[in-house]
Amino acid sequence: MDQWLDRHMGRLFLTPAVVLILVFSIFPLVASLILAFSRVRLSAGGFQVRFAGWRNFDKQLFGSEQFHLLGTFGALSILGWLAGLAATAGLVYWLYRYCRSHFTVVGFIGRLITFAMALGLAWLFSATLLSGRPFGTVGTTLFYVVVGCGIQFVIGTALAFACSQHIAGSRAFRVIFFVPMMITPIGVGYIFRMMADTTKGPFAEVWQWVGLGAWSWATDPWAARIFIVIAESWQWIPFVFIMMLAAFESVPRDLNEAAEIDGAGKWMTFREIIWPQVLPIAATVMLIRVIEAFKIVDLPNIMTSGGPGIATESVSLQAYYAWRSLDLGSASAIAYILLFVTVVICVSFFNLVVLARVRSRS
Amino acid sequence: MNVHSSEAVAKGISLRQMNKFYGAFHALKDLSLDVAPGEFLVLLGPSGCGKSTALRMIAGLESISTGTLMIGDRDVTEVLPKYRDIAMVFQSYALYPHKTVAENIGFPLKVAKMPKPEMEMAVRAAAEQVELGALLDRLPGQLSGGQRQRVALARAIVRRPSVFLMDEPLSNLDAKLRGNMRAELKHMQSTLGITTIYVTHDQIEAMTLAHRVAIMKDGELEQLGTPKEVYSDPETLFVAGFMGSPPMNFIEGSIKDEVFTGPGITLEAAGQGDCRQATLGVRPEDCTVVAAGEGQLDAMVYTLEMTGDQSLVTFRAGATPLVVKMPKDFEVAPDMDAGIAFAPMSACFFNLATGQRLRPTRGTR
Amino acid sequence: MSRGLFEPQKIGEMAPASKALLYTALVAWSLFVIFPIYWLLITSFKTPAAVNEGPFFIPWVDFQPSLHAWRELFVLDFEDTMRAYVNSIVISLSATALSVLVGSMAAYSLSRIEFAPNLITILYFVALLIGSSVAIGIYDADLWLTLAVAVALFFLLARAVGRLYTVRLGNGDILFWIISQRILAPIVVVVPIYMMFQSVRLLDTHIALILTYAVVNMPIVVWLMYDFFNSIPRDLEESAQLDGATMIMTFREIVLPLSRAGLSATTLLVMIFAWNEYLLALFLSTSRAQTLPILVAAMNAGERGILWWTMSVAIIIMIIPVVVLAVVLQKYISKGLLVGAVKG
Repeated sequence: MDQWLDRHMGRLFLTPAVVLILVFSIFPLVASLILAFSRVRLSAGGFQVRFAGWRNFDKQLFGSEQFHLLGTFGALSILGWLAGLAATAGLVYWLYRYCRSHFTVVGFIGRLITFAMALGLAWLFSATLLSGRPFGTVGTTLFYVVVGCGIQFVIGTALAFACSQHIAGSRAFRVIFFVPMMITPIGVGYIFRMMADTTKGPFAEVWQWVGLGAWSWATDPWAARIFIVIAESWQWIPFVFIMMLAAFESVPRDLNEAAEIDGAGKWMTFREIIWPQVLPIAATVMLIRVIEAFKIVDLPNIMTSGGPGIATESVSLQAYYAWRSLDLGSASAIAYILLFVTVVICVSFFNLVVLARVRSRS
Repeated sequence: MNVHSSEAVAKGISLRQMNKFYGAFHALKDLSLDVAPGEFLVLLGPSGCGKSTALRMIAGLESISTGTLMIGDRDVTEVLPKYRDIAMVFQSYALYPHKTVAENIGFPLKVAKMPKPEMEMAVRAAAEQVELGALLDRLPGQLSGGQRQRVALARAIVRRPSVFLMDEPLSNLDAKLRGNMRAELKHMQSTLGITTIYVTHDQIEAMTLAHRVAIMKDGELEQLGTPKEVYSDPETLFVAGFMGSPPMNFIEGSIKDEVFTGPGITLEAAGQGDCRQATLGVRPEDCTVVAAGEGQLDAMVYTLEMTGDQSLVTFRAGATPLVVKMPKDFEVAPDMDAGIAFAPMSACFFNLATGQRLRPTRGTR
Repeated sequence: MSRGLFEPQKIGEMAPASKALLYTALVAWSLFVIFPIYWLLITSFKTPAAVNEGPFFIPWVDFQPSLHAWRELFVLDFEDTMRAYVNSIVISLSATALSVLVGSMAAYSLSRIEFAPNLITILYFVALLIGSSVAIGIYDADLWLTLAVAVALFFLLARAVGRLYTVRLGNGDILFWIISQRILAPIVVVVPIYMMFQSVRLLDTHIALILTYAVVNMPIVVWLMYDFFNSIPRDLEESAQLDGATMIMTFREIVLPLSRAGLSATTLLVMIFAWNEYLLALFLSTSRAQTLPILVAAMNAGERGILWWTMSVAIIIMIIPVVVLAVVLQKYISKGLLVGAVKG
């Protein structure tokens, strides 16, 4: 008995985790897929599920909800055409160069998916934003991901590098910079609403002084979006900071000193010696942040409820609102679209950026 | 080997009462040294003796708390490392892991904004000099320990600095490779003629490489001299015990009326003044094993070790072990009493309290 | 000796210009980080009047601090507040314990034992899962009957199917599969989870939230602990095994004590995530199992608009436990978290 137990202990150790993930992650994933292709109706004591084909997706991507998810389409402006064509040309060239250099079937198919996604997003961008029309939740989510993560990465890394120098008080700064991570996202949302209040907030007088006393940032789409990004960055820069600080400190001090003796200045040491070594970690940190950023839901919900209109609504929030209006089919379809975009972008990023770095080093 | 004549003029280095404090900790105490142009000076001492600190201060990686440092006739006490015209080889080699061998060697030149063609030539020449010509495109991770060592050396010589600093550069190599590298290093230094300061805790490295050895302990300079001087004429008890393998035998006792008395031994100490706590030191190779009663001292044989080219006989006299170096075919049974004989002239006396050598007050030598 | 502003004046120091720039940036950022928290703190001690009459910055100078808001939350609404507080504590502690226990067990076995699951068997399993879900969901097949048939089919044919092809996966694939669950936005899975709990009448209970939180955070646990276990030398366990210890004893007596740093960091991280979770709680709890984030959000959704003063108090009491934990576990955090993280 004991012996049998010991021999199978490895499997027994792994099983609970696998079962929990199967039940609460894989099964719902499958069920959600089925819901996305169904019409769900509440009935006495449960649900009635009817197969509906592509109708849910059709409605979101091409039908009545298109403006909500993707944006309002119309004739492209000249700028839109130019940007769209430029992006297409760039992507085609990228694919062509790959085919010329080292072609494998799997690699090609993977890049083809990345290509299709990037092309779709590029034209979406050209047809809405660049043609002067509002974009939908996909565009908003991408705005949070790209701009938010970009800001967090740049500032977080800069702060980490500053704190990795030997300066007085760097311990105190580390503790201070870590604090926002411990504050609940809900709290961050409300705190920044207070900060941004133009009549009672701490900067009310500044607003009044610049003549914006009666203005509310919550009624301007871009102001609202930017404000959410600021709040999100405030919360998540600490994460980037901590990870990058560890990365900078893991670079052997010898290398710094060797570069110093070789005559390199601070900037050159950073560019030539330190940065190439923390790059793999930086890519990983960025990937983690991007994955989490796609899930954004609490800040827009708390700070603006997705308003004005749908200007700050993320895809997750849209799915939540669909669920609240008991349209479970649409909620699942929207969630699946989000999943698809997230997976394609994250996997592309992982394969083309993170792994490429790892490969080039070995 | 392609031998270049040195373009840079070798410069002397002089340290004037250099001190280093880390808070209350006094890491380096009044170190004064003069290194002649082209000299190979080894800083030798156990770990924590301040030798690496001293080297890093010369490099400019640590500030000099008090004192002055001159390279050539320039005061560089406050000068930044990059303006000191030095090159350094680190214990870990500090090769940039993401740069190829060629990029690593060329980095100091790239920093100095040397034109590309010239740089490539210089890199190639330096690489040839350390026999790395075939490996220029590799990354450091793909090299063996000895090859990495050579890359570090090439990076140091490519710039023709006026001073070389080396911080235990051979300690990460295995014994055989270390022997080869030692010879190459010495050859290279003498052909390039660049002033070199070399830090090590390995006395064999120090003896074989150095023109002069500076032995340090607890942040202080114990003795400065040629390898021969520090070995055969140690100034302090510490130097005597540190140099030589196996180390010098010590017997504690006292000197009165020019006679040293210790446990089981009385020895004439011609010309020595009285000293209540003295130590007699005699090198293992200056002793021979003789029949009991025939030497200066009788003791019991503890073990006999064969090292191939010689036999080491360890005795126990009370608590102190005494070692005698004998020819390789010498045989003696353990647990036997035997005598140890040595020429009185080869013995030296130390003051146990101060650790200083006791010199004859009357001229007998 | 005079040097440019961009060169250090002394060895081991920074150039004056960089130093000035650096401190300016660090201090500016510190202010940006601290000010909102300071404002939160003083707002919690303001009366409604002090909030509404315009910005006041310094207590005792600008306004008279009062415990009005604290009293409101802890005396008038004591029951609601305490229930949410207790709910949050129970749920996040249990979820963390479950997640760390199950996750680190999985991570340990992945780091020590070679698994080689058969790819075809897994595909077969997924096909059965999809098939039975479709049967139940769309064709109204009986739940238990379908489940029984599916389980029977799986065990009857798994071996036969498995023999067809022998493409095997490795530990790396299992690990990747578990970690990749983190890509899933909770919104994708929460609707079926909601329906699942509704069908077994567990909605708005602690159990529903505990299980869900545990699973959502398990990928983090497995990822961090896998790297941590890998950094523990194996000879210790091998020597324990030679001494006759079983795997479970080795795990309990040797591995767990050695991985205290990693466990603490992971625990803290998971606990913060569970404590702050919002979206899942929004779906799975309505009143009885309401957690603090939901309470705070609900408090402000009323007709009176946002009551800045009580809201500040609620947020502060939410932050306090996290800060206390972080301080207690502080010495382990940097040690534990960074082993896995930095290796990427």
